[in-house]
Amino acid sequence: MTQIEPQNQLTLDLSRKHKIEGSQATARQTAELLRSVISQQRVPYTNQAGALIDAVKAIGEQLIAANPVELAVGNIVRRVLHIIREEDLSLTTAAIGGLNLSAVSDDENDDDRDGDSTLSAAAVAAAARSTLRPPSLQTLLEDTPVSAAVPQTSSSGGDSEGKSKSADKSSRSRKLKHDVIEAVNELIQDIVTCHEQIAEQAVEHIHQNEVILTLGSSRTVLEFLFAAKEKKRSFRVFVAEGAPRYQGHLLAKELVARGLQTTLITDSAVFAMISRVNMVIVGAHAVMANGGVIAPVGMNLVALAAQKHAVPFVVLAGSHKLCPLYPHNPEVLLNELRSPSELLDFGEFSDCMDFGSGSGSPLLHVVNPAFDYVPPKLVSLFITDAGGHNPSYMYRLIADYYSADDLVVQRRATAGN
Amino acid sequence: MQFDDQGRVNKSKKRAVFNQPEAKNRVELFRHLPQYEHGSQLTDLESKFLELDSMHPAVYKVGVQYLAGDVTGGNARCIAMLRAFQEVINDYSTPPGKTLVRDLTAKISSYVSFLIECRPLSMSMGNAIRFQKSRIAKLPLTLSETEAKAALCNDIDRFINEKIILADKVIVRHAATKVRDGDVLLTYGSSCVVEMILLYAHELGKQFRVVVVDSRPKHEGQALLRRLLAKGLSCTYTHINAVSYIMHEVTRVFLGASSVLSNGTTYSRVGTACVAMVAHAFRVPVLICCEAYKFHERVQLDSICSNELGDSNDIARVPGRPDVNSMDNRTNEKNLQFLNLMYDATPSEYVSMIITDYGMIPPTSVPVIVREYRREYLLI
Repeated sequence: MTQIEPQNQLTLDLSRKHKIEGSQATARQTAELLRSVISQQRVPYTNQAGALIDAVKAIGEQLIAANPVELAVGNIVRRVLHIIREEDLSLTTAAIGGLNLSAVSDDENDDDRDGDSTLSAAAVAAAARSTLRPPSLQTLLEDTPVSAAVPQTSSSGGDSEGKSKSADKSSRSRKLKHDVIEAVNELIQDIVTCHEQIAEQAVEHIHQNEVILTLGSSRTVLEFLFAAKEKKRSFRVFVAEGAPRYQGHLLAKELVARGLQTTLITDSAVFAMISRVNMVIVGAHAVMANGGVIAPVGMNLVALAAQKHAVPFVVLAGSHKLCPLYPHNPEVLLNELRSPSELLDFGEFSDCMDFGSGSGSPLLHVVNPAFDYVPPKLVSLFITDAGGHNPSYMYRLIADYYSADDLVVQRRATAGN
Repeated sequence: MQFDDQGRVNKSKKRAVFNQPEAKNRVELFRHLPQYEHGSQLTDLESKFLELDSMHPAVYKVGVQYLAGDVTGGNARCIAMLRAFQEVINDYSTPPGKTLVRDLTAKISSYVSFLIECRPLSMSMGNAIRFQKSRIAKLPLTLSETEAKAALCNDIDRFINEKIILADKVIVRHAATKVRDGDVLLTYGSSCVVEMILLYAHELGKQFRVVVVDSRPKHEGQALLRRLLAKGLSCTYTHINAVSYIMHEVTRVFLGASSVLSNGTTYSRVGTACVAMVAHAFRVPVLICCEAYKFHERVQLDSICSNELGDSNDIARVPGRPDVNSMDNRTNEKNLQFLNLMYDATPSEYVSMIITDYGMIPPTSVPVIVREYRREYLLI
């Protein structure tokens, strides 16, 4: 079956939460793991797409459960599922088209032609049933695997036809896996090169003598600003340090190394400085279906300040960050609370954290969230590797990348076999 | 004084008591504000102690306390300065051939410029100095030297008592009526008035929770947190980035101020504007607690035209994070600047109410108070 090692390793890494940093690395590893799962999966002659989907869903469920806050994992799992469905659909339509052609050209033998046409009709029906159609009442009521139907029709025809049919099907199954793996490779390529594609659009948005504000550190933003610098635009950058991780310091170091005028400010000074800023450019952890953004903590503050001063708030996100889920109560459900020691030194405040005092609950409670939710009305523009979009348009991109069946990644308990 | 005026800067350097090397990497936007290298200032000043025969030791002590950061907060700085002036006046004797009024005023002015070198004046200190000078100028000429000195010391005592100590008590009484059972009160940084309000409300027996929001580089909220916990209040501590996360459970926001300007803008510790903005977005009332002597007739639209720049090393260095501090040696790199703002201006639309010793007023009433009650200074 599937290899145990890499899947368990990835699950472990995800649940440790600090082993893999960043959505891009997570997305790439997930895609590579799913590719190996697919290539090693043995598919039956019939309903091969269904088998692949079941296998991917099984792995995907585990990966998502390991770290539900890392949305990139779920995104990639759903992308791969969509790829499988799409490839299957395109192969079936090609097969149907091929069968029709062969029936029409063979016009010497009427009996054969009748036989062929009846066979082709049955084969078409079987092929259509074995394709995974979008959910309709019909499919929901059927709900039985149609793998039993097809071998009967093929055996009722002549031996030669039967053989050619089975040969067709085995070549079809190989072709499906091959196509799926090719498409997953393209997906991995997209994930790896998303920075370049976003950075190409930098020149359209940054003009000369501009002042840009950013918070924390994002590789996408870094590449974006470098690309503008390469095109000889001179601009200044204010970097807010992004406590308590202080990623802004690292970003400032990189920018200075490339020759950009950088000023490092504290997060509390964002409102004070934003009146002199032309544009705010930030990265995101995930983009939700309504156009809302899950971003490092402090981003909502920057977005509100930008709205008050009418400064455009631009979010850069690769397409692997686009999540088809709608954020319900994102501050709680899509957030991670980190250790209080990042804010307060345990040594100094240990007496205040004493459970033994008074009613038994400590008087001091320290809150250190990792993420912030920015509602879509505060975002001016999303720049993805597919171009620039309004927040209200993001839901349409979901239709390109994901299928409606896959929103809940769970193996159906009633699956046959 | 606008610092980008080169002629005046040179003149003031000649009069300066101790040397202050200017910071190398200055942010262009703030050329009009002074920025010095903070590393060597304190040792330089301490080494000059025996040379400063013209400097009264009490004033010198206050100056060193400002420079070292031991005395912070508008009220504390103002009281320290006024007490030092009291000692100056007590020890003062008119030199022959000069009048008390003119000579004392000149002396006070020189001490004030020394204090400015240590740390730029806060608005509260500026108002107190103006009050002081006006009292000296209004001394009747018939008084003898001892009587004049006694009258001046008395005025200073009354100022401190009425404008600061009693005013704080009145503010605390007013504000405690705004705290209800079950409230979650948010405060930012460390304001002495807000701390008094919270402790008083707790003594009255009201049941509430406090959220203390803190920020870099000073982490002033930690001291406030410790004092509140010692008195038994239940507190939540967070940093300013998480204020959007915590704001949905907050019912009231209490903030202190360094000053309130005549266009209703609140001038206070940097980060206050962020907290007020987020509170406004979540429809949480923001109450500013400020004594009336801190009001000023200046107007200001943003935080850049007038501010104070702190030590840039405080930003560059993050205590306890060696991975981030590896860039510490870069403070002198040409392209990299660190900006350590001390104050910011909160627009009046974010403030629901200002609690002063004259009552609870909307931000639009501040110029009224400045105009109507300034005369009181003269009648004191």
